[in-house]
Amino acid sequence: MVAATHEATRFDRLVRPAPDEPAITNDDHLAATRRADALAWIDEHGLPTGRDEPWHYTPLKELGAALGEATPAPARQLDPGRVDALAGAHGGPRLVFVNGYFDAEHSETPQADGVWCGPSSQVPPEHAALVASTAEGELSDGFEALNRADGGDAAVVIAAPGATPSAPVQVVHLTAPGDTLEIAHPRTIVCVGKDADVAVIESFVGQPGAALRNTLSTMLLGIGASLRHHRVQTEAGECLHVGLTNVTQAANSTLASTSVMLGARVARNAINVRFAGTGAQANLRGLQVLDGRQRHDTMITADHAASGCRSDQEFKSVVDDRARSSFSGHIIVRPGVVDTDAHQTNRNLLLSPQGQADTRPWLEIFADDVRCTHGATVGRLDDEALFYLRSRGIPAELGRSMLIDAFIREVIDTVEPKSLRDHLKAVVAAKHAEAPIGHEDLHREAKAQVQS
Amino acid sequence: MLSITNLSATIDGKTVLSGFNLEVGAGEVHVIMGPNGAGKSTLSNVLTGRDGYVLSGSIDFDGEDLLAMSPEDRATAGLFLAFQHPTEIPGVGNMYFLRTAVNAVRTAQGLPEIAATDFLGQAKDAMALLDMDPAFLSRSVNTGFSGGEKKRNEVLQLSLLQPRLAILDEIDSGLDIDALRVVATAVEALRSPDRSMIIITHHPRLLEMVKPDHVHVLTGGRIVRSGGPELATEIESQGYASAMADGAAAPSTS
Repeated sequence: MVAATHEATRFDRLVRPAPDEPAITNDDHLAATRRADALAWIDEHGLPTGRDEPWHYTPLKELGAALGEATPAPARQLDPGRVDALAGAHGGPRLVFVNGYFDAEHSETPQADGVWCGPSSQVPPEHAALVASTAEGELSDGFEALNRADGGDAAVVIAAPGATPSAPVQVVHLTAPGDTLEIAHPRTIVCVGKDADVAVIESFVGQPGAALRNTLSTMLLGIGASLRHHRVQTEAGECLHVGLTNVTQAANSTLASTSVMLGARVARNAINVRFAGTGAQANLRGLQVLDGRQRHDTMITADHAASGCRSDQEFKSVVDDRARSSFSGHIIVRPGVVDTDAHQTNRNLLLSPQGQADTRPWLEIFADDVRCTHGATVGRLDDEALFYLRSRGIPAELGRSMLIDAFIREVIDTVEPKSLRDHLKAVVAAKHAEAPIGHEDLHREAKAQVQS
Repeated sequence: MLSITNLSATIDGKTVLSGFNLEVGAGEVHVIMGPNGAGKSTLSNVLTGRDGYVLSGSIDFDGEDLLAMSPEDRATAGLFLAFQHPTEIPGVGNMYFLRTAVNAVRTAQGLPEIAATDFLGQAKDAMALLDMDPAFLSRSVNTGFSGGEKKRNEVLQLSLLQPRLAILDEIDSGLDIDALRVVATAVEALRSPDRSMIIITHHPRLLEMVKPDHVHVLTGGRIVRSGGPELATEIESQGYASAMADGAAAPSTS
């Protein structure tokens, strides 16, 4: 293996440049090697195409066009108060990264309750090997390769064995766009030690303006560990967001994951959960709310590589205007694995005649002892329910919002802490109030199309 | 209060009401009886403004053209339907729904909205009269309610919204005799000189507890006979066929 630091590739202009000086320390050498290897990987394998099943519904053309013009985003200063306004304040430690660069000024990193959090560049020696190991696994696609090649500072949360901090740790990846289209590759690393129990809120937020974000979050759950993970994406409307979360669960660990996607013009949320030990559980929930011309694509994989594990996927979407939503629920049960529970539901609410929702159960089951269910619905607001509300004097618009609220409540009501729940409710309400394209215009257009 | 003149209603090419006339004065309780398919449910659908019907004729509600009003405007103007099959609305809390409805009506009447705590007290009092567990306030609207519980929830809304014209569409169906008595007592308590009611029913049993002023027989989309409470007794003992044969030409005025 050669650390060909200065060898140009087709893609190296999309990641931050390699240092000019030759590697002096062994860490520098390893980083240079990782960068070169990841770029070589992507030169060999290319970017995903529509023929790659996990990317079937992703608007790759738009992403490709953006990659064609993007340049690496620099660090930028933030106005005070922006982080609270965009991501909410939820108590507990907070790590703020702007365009993938650690922002010490806006971060609060008390090292208490058995939790270490900070940027990967400051990880104490005893955790260095663990953190480094997260960038060593096999790459799954070109976007993950780009993220690794960029090799920027990661937000790191490490919970010691048995740690049970009372407050959630918040990781904020904030987009501060420039005058031209910029790409950044934010990273998060969460390691939950044996029998520890932590909550992590990962907020992807941004200031107005076009930008491309290619995120990678790596979560390692030790034996008996418990992680409550909230992934919230409320980027600005011009943003393009490609997100990947890789979770590896040891025996008897528990993941409770809630994804909420509201922002960005194009957004992908891929979560891969791999059960590496027996008796582990993952409950994955999610909500995406889209309008205008937004495209949201959720790609969930539950990889049952160990026996006696349970995965539940419950995802919902609310689609208005001309937006397009997609969900793929991938369940893999490996040969020889027994006593598997794998369940999946996807419910879609279409609010306009020109919205679209695609839903795809994708089951690869190579074992017999499996209890697996999946179900999907795509529907409109219940006319009967709306009529019932109106017959009691409730105006039609208020009735509509009551029914939409009831649909999304199942997900939002599980969000903890309350400050995050309230923040999300406010963001959803603000989104509905905007209504980028008037309903009447859409209905008129739909009618015109039928007539012509 | 309500004046229906020469009303016709057609749905999917099928005429369900034709030449229907009815006058309901303030404080009057009218009963409409009739066999299945006579047009009873269509009448309540048309009165509340449900989509899908091609209509002719007119309905005057306190000097306003009811057919020109939206369902919510009819409700805030004082019209209320107790549904034969109340709709389940998962995820919408009953308490929130009731208070939103009451405040929608109050706002339309130019009254201030009612505070949550005041409303809770009112709701609990009304529920006590209906022998309803206050726990029903914290459940989703009608969701998982038994048939009888749904009917009580309708009468609860009736008593909280205080409409001027209440249409009770088979409020007695699916109720056992004890529940029927509770519901009938609550309905009877809501009678007042300025509140009118139209009770649509198959069964005269309810009418032993809520005494009507007028009874009408609806068949073939129009009222074929009208009379006093004795007409209900006659129908029970002799059936619709006989009642219609006796008075097929009777006009429907009150």
